[in-house]
Amino acid sequence: MELRTSLSLLCVLLCMLGNQAITPHRDRPEDYTPATHTPEDYTPDTPVLPHFTGCRSREQETFRCWWSAGTFSNLSEPGALVVFFQMKNTPLSDWQECPEYTATVENECYFSKTFTHIWTSYCVQLRATAQNITYDEFCFTVENIVHPDPPVGLNWTLLNVSRSGLNFDILVRWAPPPSADVHTGWMSLKYEVQYRQRNASHWDKLDLESGTQQSIYGLQTDKEYEVRIHCKMSAFHNFGEFSDSIFVHVAPIPSKESVFPTMVLLVSGVVGLLILLMLVIFSQQQRLMVILLPPVPAPKIKGIDPELLKKGKMDQLNSLLSSQHMYNQDTYREDPWVEFIQLDLDDAGEKSGSSDTQRLLGFTRPGPKGDDDSGRASCYDPDLLPDAEGLLAAHCEMEEHHPLVSESGPSTPSPEATDAPFLPFRTQPVGQSWINMDFYAQVSDVTPAGGVVLSPGQQSETPGMNPDEKKKKGEDAGDEEVEKEKKLQLLVVGSDGGYSPEVVARQVESSAPYSPAPENAYHALPPEPGEEPQTWSVGYLVPDGEAQAPYFLPEAPPASVLPPVSDYTVVQEVDGQHSLLLNPSAPQSPACPPNPTKHLPSMPAVPMGYLTPELLENLSP
Amino acid sequence: FSRSLQTVLFVALLCLDLRTHVGSAPICPHGHTGCHILSLADLFDRVIQHSARLHGLSSDLHSEFEHFFLPSKNHIGRVYRKCHTSSILTPNGKENAQKLAREELTEVILKLLTAWRDPLSQLHQSMAHQQDFNSFSSNKALELSDMVHELRKGVEKVTEKMQLLGMISNSVNGLSSSEALLPASESGEAMSDYELVYCFRRDSDKVQNYLKILKCRIVPEHGC
Repeated sequence: MELRTSLSLLCVLLCMLGNQAITPHRDRPEDYTPATHTPEDYTPDTPVLPHFTGCRSREQETFRCWWSAGTFSNLSEPGALVVFFQMKNTPLSDWQECPEYTATVENECYFSKTFTHIWTSYCVQLRATAQNITYDEFCFTVENIVHPDPPVGLNWTLLNVSRSGLNFDILVRWAPPPSADVHTGWMSLKYEVQYRQRNASHWDKLDLESGTQQSIYGLQTDKEYEVRIHCKMSAFHNFGEFSDSIFVHVAPIPSKESVFPTMVLLVSGVVGLLILLMLVIFSQQQRLMVILLPPVPAPKIKGIDPELLKKGKMDQLNSLLSSQHMYNQDTYREDPWVEFIQLDLDDAGEKSGSSDTQRLLGFTRPGPKGDDDSGRASCYDPDLLPDAEGLLAAHCEMEEHHPLVSESGPSTPSPEATDAPFLPFRTQPVGQSWINMDFYAQVSDVTPAGGVVLSPGQQSETPGMNPDEKKKKGEDAGDEEVEKEKKLQLLVVGSDGGYSPEVVARQVESSAPYSPAPENAYHALPPEPGEEPQTWSVGYLVPDGEAQAPYFLPEAPPASVLPPVSDYTVVQEVDGQHSLLLNPSAPQSPACPPNPTKHLPSMPAVPMGYLTPELLENLSP
Repeated sequence: FSRSLQTVLFVALLCLDLRTHVGSAPICPHGHTGCHILSLADLFDRVIQHSARLHGLSSDLHSEFEHFFLPSKNHIGRVYRKCHTSSILTPNGKENAQKLAREELTEVILKLLTAWRDPLSQLHQSMAHQQDFNSFSSNKALELSDMVHELRKGVEKVTEKMQLLGMISNSVNGLSSSEALLPASESGEAMSDYELVYCFRRDSDKVQNYLKILKCRIVPEHGC
């Protein structure tokens, strides 16, 4: 079924193409072509039958039909051929003869208004009068054969001429044909304007226009144009005859202004503008640079001059940082990474089974005072020192099993901390880096109870540090204990997983010769370039103002007074018996056998020595 | 300063918006005050424009049909075609239309429009099912069906308005429930698609012309 349809379609198409090739000018079949159409240029010896040459209506109210006798000259006499027509109505009417043969025009049949019925199919037949022969038949409906008369009153007006004087635009106007009744709306016309140059063969066509005027753009001034118009009924396809052509010609106007000054003006303007722009740029270079390439803001702390940080003194820096109130004691308290060594003063006398270091670290025992600081693994006992005792966080144990005290010094910031003997621990500074240690307090003494007394010289007035001490002591600490200015320098040194017994208490003595700034309680341990001992765990008590403080290790002062030693000693190596071999350059390098329980990893020869001989002594069980 | 600028802009926007609303002319039901009531002439113009569009579309469809179905040389068989609306008596000339009473002319228009509602949807369906036509043609058929429907409503409105204004009597009857003329040729077969298109083209031309004549008679204008 589909195949048949497609085949029939193919045939149809081929036939159409063939038809189009043969009759290129073929219009609507209803309109013009009679049934047997023979072109005029056929060879005369072929007989041409009489036929209708066309039927047309001008105004959709009447229409006419024309015929030709063909080669039958005997039929060309008037009256030899008659026209019959029939209207295809219901009921089917009879064939009637042409109502009126036009007198003035040969071979024309005119249908007047009474005989013209729109929307009705007509068929006309050309018959011979004498014989009963129908030579031609033509069927149509009237509205399909309407060819309107040409519009009248075609005229043009000049719209404008271009600047160069070469082109111009015109407006063409016309009136509808008088025969077409457009006012009542019986006919609605569409117009088409065509124009061409005088001697051209091709007509340019404009778009269909419903109104009565149209513009033509882009005509050339020195040429003459011919304009004509015709119309058709809208929605139908039959154009009427063309109107008479009108001729359009506009003389070229010499342009007044020359091009050259304009160009010069333009170029000079542009150049001036460029110069101005360059001047502006060069004069405002700095500002432009700032605007276009804003400097990247360096990190800043409010109120702190970065220059001071670069080259200021430590004490200035200290005061500066402390004044920043950046170190909130609350955060200090809750920082989990700030570890405190818990000290238990109550068990000072008793020997518990756990090792001292464990005690120090607070692992096995609960807080002596019910301390619930679970995060603490450092030497910290909140209620350790009720009195003015220096705090020292060390996690080597002392002989008396003194728990490490992390409390700072006396409650009152009195310059003289205690009556404890002042034991300045001095170790020779290993390097110049130890020189500026304002952030550390020097432990001057360790009380039998286990308290560490910091040297009074360090109780300098860093009021901001007091809250830290308070924090370090914990909640149970009394206020007087809070008043210690000595800060805690606590370093929990731990190796992997465990703890290392090496505690270097660096004491910074305000009166230390190397320490020229007595008022600072703490000395910062400047970080050695690139150094942190790998095995050291990070547990350090941060005094306020020193978030970035590196480690500093409090040192447990031994019970005995030792000769002044350098503050720090470099541990060079550890022998097989777990002895620390310190820097031979140090005046004393006691081989302090470390606590066997302590795990002493081999240390690299760091220039930053954390062990002092005294500590090593204390390390021994 | 920026805030005041924002408020100014906002107010300007509002004013602009209001103005565009004011510019349009809504049709007011039963003459609300303040509305811009469409005059009968405007209604007629709209309806005539619609009918012109309808006729153009039907003419295009017919042209497509003629290209598709090879126009046969035998015009008799092709032309002699009875449309289903042939039973409706219609004035077949300008003068006849002008002589006809307004009511009757209106009635004829409505009859014609009503008679084509069903056949056009039928045409669309049959065209859509066939493979011969592209979707463009079948869409045109659908559009024709919609437009006829709208035009009929428009003419009904015009009729109501005319009756309201007393220009025609109220004798224009039975439009809503008019008999549905089923398209059938003389032999009783259903009309083919081409026949339908041909007939509709003719009838849409009728409707367009009748409306124009009616307008000229109802609303006197220059040249009517």
